[in-house]
Amino acid sequence: MRQNHGAAISAKKDLVWVVSLLALTFTLGAAQHWPLVKASFKGELTTYLQQRRDERRAVQFKEIRTLTLNEAYALWQEGRSLVIDARHTQDYRELHVPGAVNLPPESWKNLKDSPGLAGLDHGRQIMIYCSQESCDDALKLAVKLKALGFARVLAFTGGFRAWDEAGYPADTGS
Amino acid sequence: MPGMKQAIRRIPALEWPLRPILGIGLGAAFLYAGVQKYLGPDDFAQAILAYQLLPEALVGLAAAGLPWLELAAGLLLVLGFLMETTDRLAVGFGLNFETGLSGVMFRRSSLLLILPQLGLFILVLGITMARGLKIDCGCGLLADRQVGPGAILEDALLFGAAGWLYWRECQAGDREEGSLILVQPKS
Repeated sequence: MRQNHGAAISAKKDLVWVVSLLALTFTLGAAQHWPLVKASFKGELTTYLQQRRDERRAVQFKEIRTLTLNEAYALWQEGRSLVIDARHTQDYRELHVPGAVNLPPESWKNLKDSPGLAGLDHGRQIMIYCSQESCDDALKLAVKLKALGFARVLAFTGGFRAWDEAGYPADTGS
Repeated sequence: MPGMKQAIRRIPALEWPLRPILGIGLGAAFLYAGVQKYLGPDDFAQAILAYQLLPEALVGLAAAGLPWLELAAGLLLVLGFLMETTDRLAVGFGLNFETGLSGVMFRRSSLLLILPQLGLFILVLGITMARGLKIDCGCGLLADRQVGPGAILEDALLFGAAGWLYWRECQAGDREEGSLILVQPKS
């Protein structure tokens, strides 16, 4: 009986701690990121995140020129640029922009020795894409390629999702 | 206290190093994941949105609050086990030293916060896999990982470890507020 009473008191103490910590952490989080929480409550989260992403990219990737969907399609149709798919190999194998070379993030450590770039003229125009608007991989790879001396590197930030949703051609396999 | 001496609760030989190692490891994993999410609240909100499970109105609050919750739970768990280890070592070396803090309360309450979180993560990952969505896990432990069996297995292992630790804490019971108990020496 006494033991049960002790266990009940202990469970109550645990619960008080848990509820207090939950209240404290979510209050602190909401106070720290109030604009994010407010935008979410108002149903404007996607716009808010897009705006924040654009602001961040304007600083972090300021030296990289980006392309819209139409510009990317026009460039691909010209056929003079090297198109690079910066997604994981599995995604690339399922579907990719026709003629694109796959350079997944795991291969970026040895970009110099990458078969996709071997013997490539440093003046050649390169267009890179990743999975979707929210991914930074195309921009990150563009920075790396610029550092390797490739001067004309462009990033299509809409990614393969935008390309696919527009109904543009796509290939399977490697 | 005259006539009393401190003693360490008897525990199986293997359990002594295993519990603090598991506890501190689990706490550190939560601390690390919490820091990753804390540093990128927008990315974390984007990751939650991609799961398409939570109403948009609540995504902001979840992205703002969950990193703090993970940080608090991880920190308390690490502290709880460090207090126990310190007290045990002090008694083992015959030192008259105690932290005087209730490490057991830290450990139990943090495990009570961690267990539902891990259960929820496993459920969400399972539903997402069943729906065939190929999205970034947003787990915070390993970067750029997609939802898949690896992420579920990792969370299941952490859940198992947390469950075992909580079970052991409950078995120890409330009679020891901390790791040490006072016993009457046999005459």
